[in-house]
Amino acid sequence: MHLQRFMHRRRKDADLAEEMSAHLAFEEDANTARGLQPKEAHRQARLRFGNPQTTREQVWRYRSIPWLDDIARDLRFVIRSLAKTPGFSIIAILVIAVGIGVNTAVFSVINTVLLKPLSYPDPQALVQLMNSGPRGSFPGANVPKYNIWRKQTSVFQQVAGYDFGGAGLNLTGGDHPQQVQGIHVTSDYFAMFGAPLIIGRSFTAAEDSPNGGRNVVLSYSLWKSRFGGNPNIVGTPIQIDNQPYLVVGVVGRSFVTDPVGDLWLPFQFDPNSHDMAHYFTVAARLKSGITIQQANAQLKLTAEQYQREYGGAPASQEGFSVISLQESIIGDTRYSLFILFGAVIFVLLIACANVANLLLARASVRKREFATRAALGAGRAQIIRQLLTESLALSLTGGLLGLIVGFVGLRLLLNVSPGGIPRLGEDGSAVTLDAHILIFTLGISVLTGILFGLVPAISASRTNLAATLNESSSRSGLGLRSGKIRSGLVVTEMALALILVIGAGLLIRTYLKLQAVDPGFETHNVLTMAMSISGDRFQKSANVDQIIRDGTDRLKALPGVANAAAGCCLPLVGGFGVPFDIVGRPKGANRSTGGAGYYSVSGNYFDVFRIPVLRGRVFTDRDNAASPNVVMINETMAKQYWPNGDPLKDRLLTGVGMGPIFAEPARQIIGIVGDTHDGALNETPRPTMYFPVAQMPDAETALNSRVAPLWWAIRTKGDPHDVVASITAALRDATGGLPVAHVLTMDEIVLHTTARQRFNMLLLIIFGASGLLMAAIGVYGLMAYSVQQRTQEIGIRMALGAQASSLRNMVIRQGMTLALLGVAVGIAGAFWLTRLLASLLFGVTAWDPAAFLATPFLLTAVALLAIWIPARLATDIDPMTALRSE
Amino acid sequence: MGPKKAAAGDILQGTLDMLILRTLVTGPAHGHTIAQVIERTSENALEVEQGSLYPALHRLEDRSLLESEWGISDNNRKAKFYRLTPQGRKELIAVTGRWRHMIRAISLILGEASE
Repeated sequence: MHLQRFMHRRRKDADLAEEMSAHLAFEEDANTARGLQPKEAHRQARLRFGNPQTTREQVWRYRSIPWLDDIARDLRFVIRSLAKTPGFSIIAILVIAVGIGVNTAVFSVINTVLLKPLSYPDPQALVQLMNSGPRGSFPGANVPKYNIWRKQTSVFQQVAGYDFGGAGLNLTGGDHPQQVQGIHVTSDYFAMFGAPLIIGRSFTAAEDSPNGGRNVVLSYSLWKSRFGGNPNIVGTPIQIDNQPYLVVGVVGRSFVTDPVGDLWLPFQFDPNSHDMAHYFTVAARLKSGITIQQANAQLKLTAEQYQREYGGAPASQEGFSVISLQESIIGDTRYSLFILFGAVIFVLLIACANVANLLLARASVRKREFATRAALGAGRAQIIRQLLTESLALSLTGGLLGLIVGFVGLRLLLNVSPGGIPRLGEDGSAVTLDAHILIFTLGISVLTGILFGLVPAISASRTNLAATLNESSSRSGLGLRSGKIRSGLVVTEMALALILVIGAGLLIRTYLKLQAVDPGFETHNVLTMAMSISGDRFQKSANVDQIIRDGTDRLKALPGVANAAAGCCLPLVGGFGVPFDIVGRPKGANRSTGGAGYYSVSGNYFDVFRIPVLRGRVFTDRDNAASPNVVMINETMAKQYWPNGDPLKDRLLTGVGMGPIFAEPARQIIGIVGDTHDGALNETPRPTMYFPVAQMPDAETALNSRVAPLWWAIRTKGDPHDVVASITAALRDATGGLPVAHVLTMDEIVLHTTARQRFNMLLLIIFGASGLLMAAIGVYGLMAYSVQQRTQEIGIRMALGAQASSLRNMVIRQGMTLALLGVAVGIAGAFWLTRLLASLLFGVTAWDPAAFLATPFLLTAVALLAIWIPARLATDIDPMTALRSE
Repeated sequence: MGPKKAAAGDILQGTLDMLILRTLVTGPAHGHTIAQVIERTSENALEVEQGSLYPALHRLEDRSLLESEWGISDNNRKAKFYRLTPQGRKELIAVTGRWRHMIRAISLILGEASE
């Protein structure tokens, strides 16, 4: 009610004014009726009524809310006073906008990645099942594990397995075969994620069993793009890998999965399988009321059961556990996001110190204004309130601008550099402006407004009335105290900026080191592409070997192609790992525990990538199914397992203990090749084995074909992009119409593997640069102000014959003392803080001498530049003007 | 200026409110009429100060005791007419009761009660 009165008082006041003038008219009428002359009638009426203005004011005041009125008045005053010094206001607002902008940008990423719940019903209950061991946890499951987990109905409501659609599937049956991501899922999958099926249904348990038929659920986007949103799609057969599949349902657009799928197929694995290969992951929905701890306690028992039944290695202390699905999707992104958040808070603090400094300078100029106001009866609280209103007006304006700057800036950045951050969507599309971000920005604006406004406000309100009014000019500052505060702020700014720039320097060094890593192969002029061979046609190794031969023959005949190879895997894209035994050695000491990388490739592979053959030979066409099994190993494996002996004399037994499909006779080691970086550039090469495709056991090939695509690698004579069209056409012809996807040059793949580091580096460079710029503005502002304050002193000195150069040196000395103090504090702080960066670094230590030497040098140089300008100005002062400046 | 008149503003604030409410029992009226009716009915003993009248009217309206509406007066002028709301009627009964009580109490103290 009160507030309503307040809001409507302007309209009501107009109403009242009109009402009162009507009253006067009535009175005049009455007076005229009594026989008075019109003029007298008017006068008498006025006289009787009294002052209408007073009445209006009285009603107005009764309708007002005092503190709101005060704020409005302060605000009007503040806007007037800020408009009087537009230069100051604009700089302050821009500095705050940058500070708040970068915070908003990073927070909006944190919001999307870490804070927003997954878009499934009751997402907190969704967990990812993990294999936990002494060397950390990893997701992944085989059929026996899935069977055991699924029986834990006391803790899980649903358990579902799904793979990553790695191989891709080919949608055939049209003019344009298309490769799609087909994810294999168990029958509980859709119910567990609460997938909205807009047409049809999900899979039944019967469909998700061996011989359960060929059924498929389509994603919304595939349904729209490939099938024109046909509402009668359910029951229609479609062609996948030249086999007819029946569409049973379509899920709604809102169903987002990680990994993204175009369509889903029933898993249909044999429930009695003893296959030990981990080729899918398992998630579960906790029963309501069950905590993760309770689930973990239960799973501990199941791990023991698994080891009893399937004879996993008890020595490895492998166990099962769950983590929240969101946690598992976020992974280690959390850490680097927190580092970035820390960095932007530094930027904001620098911005605050800067604006506080500007405000202090301004407050000292306005000292007389405050003294006058105080003399007119304004209390200390009122002056503080006015100054805080001023700083809040600045910070809120800056915040609004920062919201725009931060958000637009982030979109641009995400477009340029998708850093492989989970949950961000295509080009960061999932980062949207929402209430969280608005509240964050508003909150941080208010907080910064108070932070940078409070010290100047308190300091200004302490003004000694009489002394100030008696002072002859506006020359005097706020005295020693404020000078110390301002110097302290500049030192802080320099220190914070130095830490930021050192951090940026370390990430730059990391990136350069990554660039300098020799990947072990030649990345230039190699084109790669993935082909799904998931159909029944490629269950046999001979068939896979055949299309590789056909394909590479066809490709090598193309103009512009130097050589071509194909295989399960590519360098940097990575492959699988299997355990191995060296025939004739006792198990134990030399038995591999982590296994070795396991690549089945065509013999040209080493030539295409120019991987050097160190000893022995590479395999050829003659190493086929009929000839004795052979294997090649990399240098790391040779050094690790044959520190003194000769690997070429030994044979390997691979896949021991991994189940029947991996069982195979021993293989002779025939060659040693150089190491390649297969995980990522910042990982050391691991022991790796290479097999000829033709000599793979069929069962392994069938599994491979199902879970991973066949990768083609083509060494071109010129720019790989020039031959993409002819290569994809040739491959389609050679393979009977199979399409390829993920057409990338090896250079592009290298670039992708360092995208995250580049993204981190780019952000920290931006933060460091803005911090440095602000710190420079801070030093400049302080010195320029101090020179201006001392105009008279400098004038006198010059009049007395002081040399311009000595005056300049005095100013520089003063400024540099502060700057160097800041640098010293910053170095100490950086030593303490950069260890937090350690896990993001590669090839440099957190105390990298180069960064710790170069950065202070850079900062000192920038500070010197910022100080030099005011120092020049000092000596430009004309002594006579200075003396008269009183 | 003749015998000293008591201005309504001099009396307790609630009194003017009560008089306004009482005046409106007979029907809607605008500010000028209300002032005249009070003055005339009190045989000119109470002179309503306009400066108090309008704040009082607006206050009563804000408390939902009155409603107002712009209309045309007898002599064809645009004027704002006030009307009692049901709440206003209840309030009038309540304050009149309190007022009577008070008069009786004061009279008792002054020894002029004529039971």
